Amino acid sequence: MCFTLNCSDHHPINCIVPPYMLRVLALRGDARTAEMAKTLLKQTEKLRDERAELNRAGLPPAELLSGNYASRAVSPAEDICCSDRRIHDGEHKAALPGKLIRSEGDPATGIADADTAYDAAGQVFSMYAEEYGRNSLDGEGMPLIATVHHRRDYNNAFWNGDQMAYGTGDGKIFQTFLELSVIGHEMSHGVIQFSGGLIYENQSGALNESIADVFGSLALQRALAQEAHEADWLVGKGILGPGIKGVALRSMKAPGTAYADDLLGQDPQPWHMDGFVSTSDDNGGVHINSGIPNHAFYLFCNYLGGKAWEVPGRIWYRALQTLNNPMASFSDWADQTMDAAIELTGRGSIESVMLRRAWKLVGIAI
Amino acid sequence: MIIEIETQGGFGGIASAALNKTIDVDQQAEPVRQELCDAFEPDELARLASKPCGDCADRMTYHITVTEDGHESSFTLHEQQLPPEMLDLIDQV
Repeated sequence: MCFTLNCSDHHPINCIVPPYMLRVLALRGDARTAEMAKTLLKQTEKLRDERAELNRAGLPPAELLSGNYASRAVSPAEDICCSDRRIHDGEHKAALPGKLIRSEGDPATGIADADTAYDAAGQVFSMYAEEYGRNSLDGEGMPLIATVHHRRDYNNAFWNGDQMAYGTGDGKIFQTFLELSVIGHEMSHGVIQFSGGLIYENQSGALNESIADVFGSLALQRALAQEAHEADWLVGKGILGPGIKGVALRSMKAPGTAYADDLLGQDPQPWHMDGFVSTSDDNGGVHINSGIPNHAFYLFCNYLGGKAWEVPGRIWYRALQTLNNPMASFSDWADQTMDAAIELTGRGSIESVMLRRAWKLVGIAI
Repeated sequence: MIIEIETQGGFGGIASAALNKTIDVDQQAEPVRQELCDAFEPDELARLASKPCGDCADRMTYHITVTEDGHESSFTLHEQQLPPEMLDLIDQV
């Protein structure tokens, strides 16, 4: 990892030691280390200001960043052409990927789940390519492999490191997983994996979940051409069973209100750090506490108005590409989004002011 | 042989959507009975639990307890540690 200040293999400025770490080293390091940390902080601030000038349009900078966890996809890919979708039928078995039923450019199969998976994968690919300059999930044009009809009455959808898989649901609790925000969520787990990753437990795991929700929601809003105030900010709208009292799986606008049902119970997501849930279940509550950063993103988008996949999406995407910390806490991530906002919109910009306000409202000071 | 299977996690993270299944292997017809005995043999479960986990985003976690001759063995496995044939067996029974 690129955590030494000397960064012998890299230009020091391009060595992505997070600013918070530099600040700690400046305070607590020995004299030589503290001096180097202070120098790097000054250089980093100067570089950010220069980048902000260069990036008023909100586009990622052209130069690549280094560091083991910094993404290769941070710079726009030069030759983004086309998606390479490969949709398989799992035939209700567990083996992946199953039988190939639709490849890129093939006509519709007539199998609703397969055609939805195909169309939605194209929409998510387009968002990442056209808005963020990313060539597929790995930034290098990897095929988009998905399996529908995974297992029998399977109440789940997932990214397994290589592909997406979608169950049909049991018809009672879930009736489908083929919905654009869900598909965008699963594909974004792939983007996160290839962007240095966030360890899937506790706060870093909840961030992994939240970022997947953010880009899943943005894919849906972009497909519907909705501005922030027009969107419902629901993740998995309509996927719950017909008898379930609920509108979706999660709400970024009002975490904790997506469902309230005798069978499912109450949506457990908090919107503020005061409601943070400490649990060993669900990898440390990754699907619960994601409500907090989800709500911060929602607030930020609504403070700014307009199309959420544009400036807010670019800031979140930029923050992910430069995070370089797989064990990031919510506070680390908030700092990272602020760094990205300053890089893309300038120090003291309305975007950075609104971002600070959004994080403060969910109980995270930056 | 009694096999108890509980899951948690998954895309929804909803506890009531989880699998909760108890299998009395002696009540199963052949060849499923033998397949269950082979797949859920404690040494085999221990071997699977030691395999690398890999990426876990939205995957389920399986808590499996096997009781045989009064002796109880419990294991926690990630979904991706279980072979597809074993998952199909769980879905089938």
